[in-house]
Amino acid sequence: MINLKINLLALLLMCSTFYGQDYEFGEVSVEELKENKYPLDEDADAAVLFRYQNTYYLSGNLVTEIRERIKIYSKEGFQHATEYINLFDGRSSEETVGRIKAITYNLDNNKIVTSELDKEQIFKSQLSYNYKQVKFTMPNVKEGSVVEFSYKITSPFIWNLDDFRFQRDIPVKEIEAEIRTPKGFNFKKTHRGYFAFRPTIETKRDARMGMDMVVNTYKLSNIPALKDEPLVDNMNNYRAGVMFELVSIDIPGVLTKSYSHSWEDVAKNIGSSTDYKKELDKTKSFDDDLDILIAGESDKLKKAKILFKHVKERTEWNGVDGKYFQHGLKKTLKEKKGNAADINLLLVAMLRYAGINANPIVLSTKDNSIPFFPTLERLNYVIAHAKIDDKDYYMDATDEFSNINVLPIKDYNWGGLLIDNNNKVWKHIYSIKPQKALNRYSLKANLTADGSMSGKYMARYTNHSAYVFRNKAKDKDDETQITNRESTFSGVEIDEYLVKNIDTHEGPVVESFDYEFEEGVDIIGDKMYLTPTLFLKTDENPFKLEKREFPVDFGFPVIDKYRFEISIPEGYVVESLPKPIAMALPEELGKFKYVIDNKNGKITLSITFDLNKAIVSSLHYGALKEYFNQIITKETEQVVLSKNTDGTANSTGKGR
Amino acid sequence: MRLLFILSSLLIYFISSAQAQYQTSLLDAALTKNANAVVRFDELHVSLNSKNSMSIQRSRVVTVLNESGNKYAMPYVGYDNGRKVKDISLIIYDKEGKVVDKFRKKDFKDASAVDGSTLYSDSRVKYYPYMPIDYPYSMELVYELSTSNTGEIPAVWPLLEDFMISTEKSRLVIEYASPQLKPIIKEKNFDGIDFKNLSTDTSLVYLAENIAAFKNESYSPSFGKIAPQLLIRPVNFHYEGYDATINDWNDLGIWMHKNLLSKRDELPVGTKEIVKNLVKNETDDLEKAKIVYKYVQENTRYISVQVGIGGIQPISAIEVDRVKYGDCKGLSNYTKALLKAVGVDAYYVHVEAGSDKIGFEEDFPNLAQGNHVILAIPYQGKYFWIDCTSQIHPFGFIGDFTDDRTVFVIKPDGGELVKTTSYLNNENYQKSKANCDLDSDGGITGEIIIQSKGIQYDNKFGIETQSDDTIKKYYKNYWGTINNLDIETYQFSNEMETVEFIEDVQINARKYASKNGERILFAPNIFNRLKNVPPRYQNRKLPFEIQRGFLDEDEYFIAIPQGYVLESIPEPIDIQNQFGSYRISIEEFDGKVKLTRKLAINQGHYPKENYKEYRSFLKQITKYDASKVVLKSNI
Repeated sequence: MINLKINLLALLLMCSTFYGQDYEFGEVSVEELKENKYPLDEDADAAVLFRYQNTYYLSGNLVTEIRERIKIYSKEGFQHATEYINLFDGRSSEETVGRIKAITYNLDNNKIVTSELDKEQIFKSQLSYNYKQVKFTMPNVKEGSVVEFSYKITSPFIWNLDDFRFQRDIPVKEIEAEIRTPKGFNFKKTHRGYFAFRPTIETKRDARMGMDMVVNTYKLSNIPALKDEPLVDNMNNYRAGVMFELVSIDIPGVLTKSYSHSWEDVAKNIGSSTDYKKELDKTKSFDDDLDILIAGESDKLKKAKILFKHVKERTEWNGVDGKYFQHGLKKTLKEKKGNAADINLLLVAMLRYAGINANPIVLSTKDNSIPFFPTLERLNYVIAHAKIDDKDYYMDATDEFSNINVLPIKDYNWGGLLIDNNNKVWKHIYSIKPQKALNRYSLKANLTADGSMSGKYMARYTNHSAYVFRNKAKDKDDETQITNRESTFSGVEIDEYLVKNIDTHEGPVVESFDYEFEEGVDIIGDKMYLTPTLFLKTDENPFKLEKREFPVDFGFPVIDKYRFEISIPEGYVVESLPKPIAMALPEELGKFKYVIDNKNGKITLSITFDLNKAIVSSLHYGALKEYFNQIITKETEQVVLSKNTDGTANSTGKGR
Repeated sequence: MRLLFILSSLLIYFISSAQAQYQTSLLDAALTKNANAVVRFDELHVSLNSKNSMSIQRSRVVTVLNESGNKYAMPYVGYDNGRKVKDISLIIYDKEGKVVDKFRKKDFKDASAVDGSTLYSDSRVKYYPYMPIDYPYSMELVYELSTSNTGEIPAVWPLLEDFMISTEKSRLVIEYASPQLKPIIKEKNFDGIDFKNLSTDTSLVYLAENIAAFKNESYSPSFGKIAPQLLIRPVNFHYEGYDATINDWNDLGIWMHKNLLSKRDELPVGTKEIVKNLVKNETDDLEKAKIVYKYVQENTRYISVQVGIGGIQPISAIEVDRVKYGDCKGLSNYTKALLKAVGVDAYYVHVEAGSDKIGFEEDFPNLAQGNHVILAIPYQGKYFWIDCTSQIHPFGFIGDFTDDRTVFVIKPDGGELVKTTSYLNNENYQKSKANCDLDSDGGITGEIIIQSKGIQYDNKFGIETQSDDTIKKYYKNYWGTINNLDIETYQFSNEMETVEFIEDVQINARKYASKNGERILFAPNIFNRLKNVPPRYQNRKLPFEIQRGFLDEDEYFIAIPQGYVLESIPEPIDIQNQFGSYRISIEEFDGKVKLTRKLAINQGHYPKENYKEYRSFLKQITKYDASKVVLKSNI
């Protein structure tokens, strides 16, 4: 796409004559200024009353005009009176902003008073290597002010149409967004968000240029604010808007060219790039080192493990995503660092060198949002895949604690594109999913007559639970780790702390310690009320809101199995036990089991918490919330022990 | 002079090459304990060539032991229009001490050093985005700065940079061309530090070695209060076009007022008329000040713009009046100007703001102390303090941002150090009264009224203006121990005049109490349970402090469901010790369960040996706060 000659478009000179019928710049009404709450969302600190944006081509550039009117209701809304304009700086060419005009309107004795932004109060700074930022804040802003600004961005990057974002963190009353593209340049439009809208499309003749233009106009009103919620993969996946991508050019007699249409096309396109076609095979520099490393090893999976470990140890990820090389194989090996493509394609190349059927899988990470339609631009990352004995192995060597088939959690977003040039397979693989983590907890406790307990905690964590544990425990000495665990397990004092297998990326983590715990029991009269879940009960429901529009993302599926063994003090008998319970979420999403028993002065409790899917649809939000409520209630239920006064049971305790 | 300069450069070169063995395995274990990084060698060499020429050379080698230590690598230097980077270079060593990379000035990147809350600043930074491959590694940064502002001599030379980083060798050299240029040095927290003072007639030289890292511990004083450091202040200096001779705080006040503040307080006639009109019916200065403060709170907002000598001089009142925004300096100066227009005196005040109370050094007048500006209004022999960057604080109430600390008050005829208002112990008061009904399924419904004063007011009154969502989230979090909590209604009353905040909240919670057959168990302390006990340390190293203290009083009535009688209630508890007192009693009253609780925590500084006792005091409270009563069915 980059290869397309820009001068074709440079010939096209267009002018924009469109202006909105309502909300002319400067025509702010007394009613708008008097309004003290946004009628549809009385909590809103500010609201966009009107936004107009128009994107079109002019003199070989992509031009976007923006005009916005914002009402400020409260002091918390003042932050919306500052505008930040980020401009891409490609070094050889860059986006620019011009014609900035901004006015604040206030009411003074029923008269509208205006304050205009002084040009000296517009600040420009270099935000990062590739971005400049222009900022200004409106003068004279008070509660009740209306602010209005307009500006024009000119971009030489004519094929990068920015997303239209209709939904904001504050409500939007009216929005009108227009985009004009030359007829024959076909842009695919993909809608996003949880409510429906559609554009009006018309073709207009541009008389001066003798060309037809396709005009898409979106008019939306009363768009609610998008509010943040816990356990969301990426809020932007649910924000109402439109994404554009050029899919083909079809100008009869001049040019006909098609761009990515299906995921297979995108995959082929990536596969035909020099990085995937040629650079990936330049493995000369491997010879000596690798031969020694895998010498004598014939098992392919073992070879893969050796090489995965080798790349992890040899290289350091520089924090930059990427599906194409930043440095290339040779330089990455030499400098021992690179972007995601440098590291994971290096791994692919090494696996191939060792005779393993290995290929890249290109994907979009969670922080990069879901790519809603076949697109090259929105894929930001690559991992390695190997097929050994007809089994799939996924690997990401950028992360210190990731393992084969235990990828960093951000990788599990949408599957990925397999780029297998050798076998001519290019396809979207959906089934890249985290495996279930299996965690076992065993707690032994000795309860004494004064209500204090001591015992041993032993736990074993696998897969992503081990991965998360390792990341948290990293670089922490035992003393710090004990302090951290004591604050997680409130009321516990820890001794003999031991943790195994945390400096490697393989295998389960094993944690154990001796503890003393004084808070599990209430002694009231001659009874003891014991919470048998000790310090492991779930305290708080993560789901507090009544309803939710987005799926819940737990990161990975998990099964937690707990076993408690509590010996009760002499002279006491069990008067009552909580009832056993089993319950399940709909569609086999998960189940919870609580089984308790009392034998020979010993209480045993086993709890299974089983979550089958990492992602739970918002349809089941109500059920999920109630499920957690019931778990919390169950886990706080108590065992009642009473002093044995009749002397029939536990007679050994009486004679002393 | 020039010759001396070359010599000293050579000296640095010599020292750094002699130290070139940065092999990690040779590090003393005492330096790596509790450390994520070790400063191997750090030298600051300041040459005061004349009153308006200063050059600063820094040479720092740090060994980063692990990923958490990366933040101490710091391959950057800040500069601005008045401070130029003459040279900068960077060398990277691996763990064997072998050079693996070298970078020169042209390899460094340049960026604006603006934080999120600042709209614009001309502060810039040169940095190298180094990505470590392996740990440990060492980094040697050498740079040279020059400036005409001798008033900007580094004000602190830290012998330890932070918690979790140790120092092997640290050297400070300040050369001065004439005795008038000699700065004053103060040793702070030097007990037990291995150092040498090698000063001569033309230089101040300090050398310190082998200082072990501190580990941050709960309730410990902030790092700055306990860290060994040298404070430096110039006496005769030049700053942004102004000369100064500062011997005491009074001198500094006169200098600040004359050069940076006077003439900044002019206002347009129209604005003067507005405020005069607002106060026309008032004769009392304090009442006038309250009206003006309210006017400022309603008409301005905080936006930071730092241009030119904006680091220390306020934007003029005329400019703030035009745009109606400013930073702490601009808004304070503007308010001062408005007060002047109505005939009320107010003084511009430098303060070190933050919930950690840090006061100005009594005998050490300089411009470097403080990070914020407030106003002092003298009235009937005392000061009233106002923070003009807050649009919501009551007049005269500064909360925990600037309370109880020594600040620098700048008056036209001099400056003085004064202590701001304190809020201690029972002044930080919370009184809660609740009436609840328990039903036979274990659910509760009820109403609680909470009255808060002092710092407890400061912690809460901000929710008044939040959205419904945020308020409900706040309560669900605040009462996190109540499962199934539902906030039905809430009402707030913010008494600005008396600085009291009153919350009236109606709640319900299904299954608050747990049922065991014919019994119901529940904790009558529904709303104010101490939950967090600070961490235990096997071997605590640092003393601890409780900066403010507080007093809570609770009185709850809980009606029990029909068909149940009280089977047992916990004994009353009364604990008194040096940290405070705790009293809780649960009794039957008029067919209801009545809980009375009083918790006082005292402000104070305590030796590390007392920490265990304090922690066990809090542990006891968490235990008794969770005490339960048992109801039994009588049907």
